[in-house]
Amino acid sequence: MLSRLCQRALAPLALRSLAPSLSAGTLQVSRQFHTGQQCLAPITPLPEMGGKVRHGVIPEEFFEFLYPKTGVTGPYMFGTGLLLYLVSKEIYIITHELVSGIAIVSLIIYVVKKYGPTVAAFADKLNEDYFAHALACKNSAISSLEEAIESEKKEQSRVEGRKYLFEAKRNNVAMVLETNYRERLLTVYNEVKKRLDYQVALHHLKRRKEQDHMINWIEKSVLQSITPQQEKESIAKCISNLKVLSKNTQAAV
Amino acid sequence: MIPNLFEIFATPYLLKVPLMWLAVMAPAMIIFSPSQHLVTGRYILLKKWTMKQFIKQIMSPLPTHGYKWAALFTALMITLTSINMISLLPHTFTPTAQLALTMALAFPLWLATVVIGLLKKTTRSLAHFLPEGSPTPLIPALVVVETISLLIRPMALGVRLAANLTAGHLLLQLMALAVIHLPTPMWPATVAVATTLMLLTILEVAVGLIQAYVFVLLLSLYLQENI
Repeated sequence: MLSRLCQRALAPLALRSLAPSLSAGTLQVSRQFHTGQQCLAPITPLPEMGGKVRHGVIPEEFFEFLYPKTGVTGPYMFGTGLLLYLVSKEIYIITHELVSGIAIVSLIIYVVKKYGPTVAAFADKLNEDYFAHALACKNSAISSLEEAIESEKKEQSRVEGRKYLFEAKRNNVAMVLETNYRERLLTVYNEVKKRLDYQVALHHLKRRKEQDHMINWIEKSVLQSITPQQEKESIAKCISNLKVLSKNTQAAV
Repeated sequence: MIPNLFEIFATPYLLKVPLMWLAVMAPAMIIFSPSQHLVTGRYILLKKWTMKQFIKQIMSPLPTHGYKWAALFTALMITLTSINMISLLPHTFTPTAQLALTMALAFPLWLATVVIGLLKKTTRSLAHFLPEGSPTPLIPALVVVETISLLIRPMALGVRLAANLTAGHLLLQLMALAVIHLPTPMWPATVAVATTLMLLTILEVAVGLIQAYVFVLLLSLYLQENI
């Protein structure tokens, strides 16, 4: 507020230095719009219901004012007297305007009586919808903040379980290392075994080859050592054996 | 004695002081400005709701840079509506039945739309002089016709409002005169005339609202063409 006053006080001084054609525009440019509340006075509370009226236009206070002196019929007598006075003294002249006035006033009364409650209910509903929307915004903000608080608390409780988590992770890592080591051990064993098996197989093969060769050599030398005389003798022996066998077989039969 | 029916359209004077300004400003006194309360009463609430609906209706066909006209159109609509409605009461003066007022509103606003169109989009606003799909032999005649139609717009705007309201009020006065004078010679006819007067009053209310809306709607249409 004070800053605005200062600005307004300084503005004429500043404007005087400018040419007249520019000063108007400068004032418009330097003026601040809607930077704060227009009126800082406290807001009067809005009454729940409007002022009470009788017959739509006359406030109830008028009737209460006249009641002590003139009773219930006082204001009505006053009104009637006033109207009659105006008409009889021709202060108010009955013209065609009165008829058109009666027409429009009766139309207004009819419309207000017929559609008044509907329009009032509609206006109240608008207010309620506006309120409900504002409340919903407030409630959703509150609930989202509460959810944030809850999740924060959950995170805080999770911090305590960190120790166990790290223990488990350490165990896992150790197990993996152990498994790895054993696998490698097995690989080494298998490789060594393979090499040893190879040597063994090689040795067996050599022995077998030596044996076969020896057998072949022995057979060859034996066959070479058999003379023709020995051959004849062995064949004759075989024939005589066969004859004896056949005699024995015949005898058995 | 039948009074001069056109006296109701004469500018009211009080001791040689013209009261035209009071007649034009008076309807504004029944329009309350929005209060600082969060929860307002029914009147201001309904006024805000009506204005919102009206602005949405009028401004939605316009492009974004035309929205600065919203305040002007809304103010114009509320002024014309309130003036028309208040003038229906007895012994009131109808400012919008005066050509001086309606032409003073229509002419500058129409001119503003035309000048904006010619300055910002010259080719497009000049192109409006020839409707799309018009046959070639008719082009010269059409351009002349469209130019005349453009130039007659402010006249039409102003005279439409003034003539409608003048005619309506005059009819109401005539009917009311008939109702006042007929009972003596033939009173069954009075009933019929009184019924017609009631119906005419309803019509006058409708005409008052519609003419105000049409005035603003046409201005928004002219703006749409030129913005």
